[in-house]
Amino acid sequence: MRDDLSVAALVARVGDGDQAAWNELVERYSPLVWSICLRYQLNRQDIDDVGQSVWLLLVENIGNLREAAALPGWLATTTKHEALRVLRAAGRHEHAGLPPEHQMPLNPADTTIEQELIVAERNAALRRAFDELPRRCHELLSLLMSDPPPDYAHISAALGIPVGSIGPTRARCLGRLRRSPHLVGVLGDGARDVEVSETGR
Amino acid sequence: MLPAGWDDEELLAALREALHARQTVPPEFVEAAKNAFAWHNIDAELAQLTYDSSRDSDYEPSTRAEAASIRALTFTSAHLTIELEVTQDSLLGQIIPAQAGVIKIQPRDGAETEFPADEIGCFSIQPVPPGPFRLHCRTAAGIDALTGWITL
Repeated sequence: MRDDLSVAALVARVGDGDQAAWNELVERYSPLVWSICLRYQLNRQDIDDVGQSVWLLLVENIGNLREAAALPGWLATTTKHEALRVLRAAGRHEHAGLPPEHQMPLNPADTTIEQELIVAERNAALRRAFDELPRRCHELLSLLMSDPPPDYAHISAALGIPVGSIGPTRARCLGRLRRSPHLVGVLGDGARDVEVSETGR
Repeated sequence: MLPAGWDDEELLAALREALHARQTVPPEFVEAAKNAFAWHNIDAELAQLTYDSSRDSDYEPSTRAEAASIRALTFTSAHLTIELEVTQDSLLGQIIPAQAGVIKIQPRDGAETEFPADEIGCFSIQPVPPGPFRLHCRTAAGIDALTGWITL
């Protein structure tokens, strides 16, 4: 199944001209590109420009990646460079005159990008695991995650399951999610702390 | 490795965050990224936008009134720079370093149109393309460069 493919396998298929593999890479990592652009406080036009450049550069260079598994890191670094390029093209690289809160994102520490990367990889793995859950689990967890979360009576009516079985079903579904092969090595003790600790990896 | 460090609440919260991260990305941003694959067997080098006067107006206000109506763009690839000026009825450009070549306008849909660049790299394109397009520049010396999508 396509979803089981590792990044390295996807990269290899893209090298063979496989558009579906490319689409899968894009689905997995466009949230990473997007979130790094937001860190640099780019406007929408600039974000589109950065996105276009990043993916075009990847098309151009995907055959030259020394280590296919390092693709997410390559994407993060390239997005950062492209964001800085766009800011330079717009003449906004000068810090003078900008309030401090606007200066900071222009030079985010590498650790910040590194954290963004770890969170993005974790998120991509969680989404893949979630997308493969059985439909009932999908529906129940989606309801439980809605904001504000509906009460159990509403969930019971919406899904046609007894109130008493919602709790156990929730636990079973989360158990399945937890055991997903995509999450092997992703949800370790360290992953949870990545946003509060700089020694996440 | 068993995710021993995560209880159900934390797992659900992390999942919510992961799905939210996907939902905040506009579908057309993802679509554009998928379309970039159309370039995979194109041999041209990418010419990136490195200057755009329209994004610069807050910082270098024009001192000449007539300059305000002219938008200037610069695209840079590994071997070429393409300067572009947008006037009311045409695009005026130059290939740097100066050399003869052919400039093609590639609209997102529709046929390409060709314009010659003279010995000093100057070219003129009329009319101004109405929709998104990119410039494909092939010089007499054999350099091949494509810009990203341009919308004027």
